[in-house]
Amino acid sequence: MNWLARAILTLYPSAWRERYGHEVGDLVSRRRLRALDLVDLLGGAFDARLHPQVVPSLLLAVGPPGPAPMPPMRPAQPSYGAITSLNPGVLSRRSFMRRMLGAGIGLLSIEFLGGTLAFLWPPPAAGIGVEHRVGTIAEILDASPDWARGTPYEFRPANAFLINVPAAKAMALGDVLEVMEPGAGEILALWRKCPHLGCMIPTACETRSRFQCYCHQSTYNIVGEKLELGPAPRGMDRFPVRIGDDGAVFVDTREVISGPPKGAQTFVDPYPPGEGCA
Amino acid sequence: MRVSGDLGDLGRFAEPSLLILVSLSGEPKHGYAIMADVEELSGASLGPGTLYAALARLEARGVIEALPAEDRRRPYRITGLGERTLRAQLDGLDAFVRTGLMRLEHRT
Repeated sequence: MNWLARAILTLYPSAWRERYGHEVGDLVSRRRLRALDLVDLLGGAFDARLHPQVVPSLLLAVGPPGPAPMPPMRPAQPSYGAITSLNPGVLSRRSFMRRMLGAGIGLLSIEFLGGTLAFLWPPPAAGIGVEHRVGTIAEILDASPDWARGTPYEFRPANAFLINVPAAKAMALGDVLEVMEPGAGEILALWRKCPHLGCMIPTACETRSRFQCYCHQSTYNIVGEKLELGPAPRGMDRFPVRIGDDGAVFVDTREVISGPPKGAQTFVDPYPPGEGCA
Repeated sequence: MRVSGDLGDLGRFAEPSLLILVSLSGEPKHGYAIMADVEELSGASLGPGTLYAALARLEARGVIEALPAEDRRRPYRITGLGERTLRAQLDGLDAFVRTGLMRLEHRT
């Protein structure tokens, strides 16, 4: 109880503490405090903050009140409070430390409050959680001409590979097939987050046109189906793809389609299924 | 109980103030002794926050004064103004008590 009373005492204004802090500290250390006393002490802190004028200044405390022109009956109590109250520009070490503590607690509270509010904010208008407009097929081919011959297109805003499926399969088989106008059903958006532990899957290796996660060597074929090597439980997850009225490709990251289960392969490339990129 | 006179404008601190002044009327006392004395006088307990809020007000008005601290504790003494104030308060209460008792005697 006593430490709680001391904590409550720090809520009083500093002038009040300079004047009465010792006495009340002494009082609470002698008395067995009840919860009601603590409430009363807290109420006193509010009162002292609301009515700062009732705290007699230290100067009044040393001299006798009233008009009697007697000399001071007792010497002034030396105290930093007296010095600082006479010299408003001087900051005592104690009040400096108190202010620093108060500022620190205040800053921490603001950060906590800010974090709480930010958590309530709607998700960002970019990244995962929105539908992205990738661009028209002509624009994609402008940025990456090899996409027509099967090279995956890195679409960074959605953290996905765009696969031109017929051309990519031909490339993995060692052929060259140029598909300039794939339909919506012929485009895959593979999420680059490995379904094993979430590592980012690097670009396909050129030797075998496979994807292989750096973390645990989980290996996928060019359409994101899981091969035998590596611990991932399924193929790469994907996002729905649609082609808009203006011919633009849209990738919708609000919905994640789970990758096909292990063994449910629709496409087999000519390399050993138990190997990675090599 | 409404306390008239100089202490009336102390609001909710009027009653504690009167108890404190009565407690100090015999001899100077420090905070802890005032608390114990008031408890004995009135049966009601006086919390430390209320005690020092009232002491600060009484001191600011010059009805009590602080003596030099002895071992962290500062005794308070009633001033001449405080004595007059307390006397006026108690006289007023005395008249109030008499009137009440008299009316009870002559009840029809």
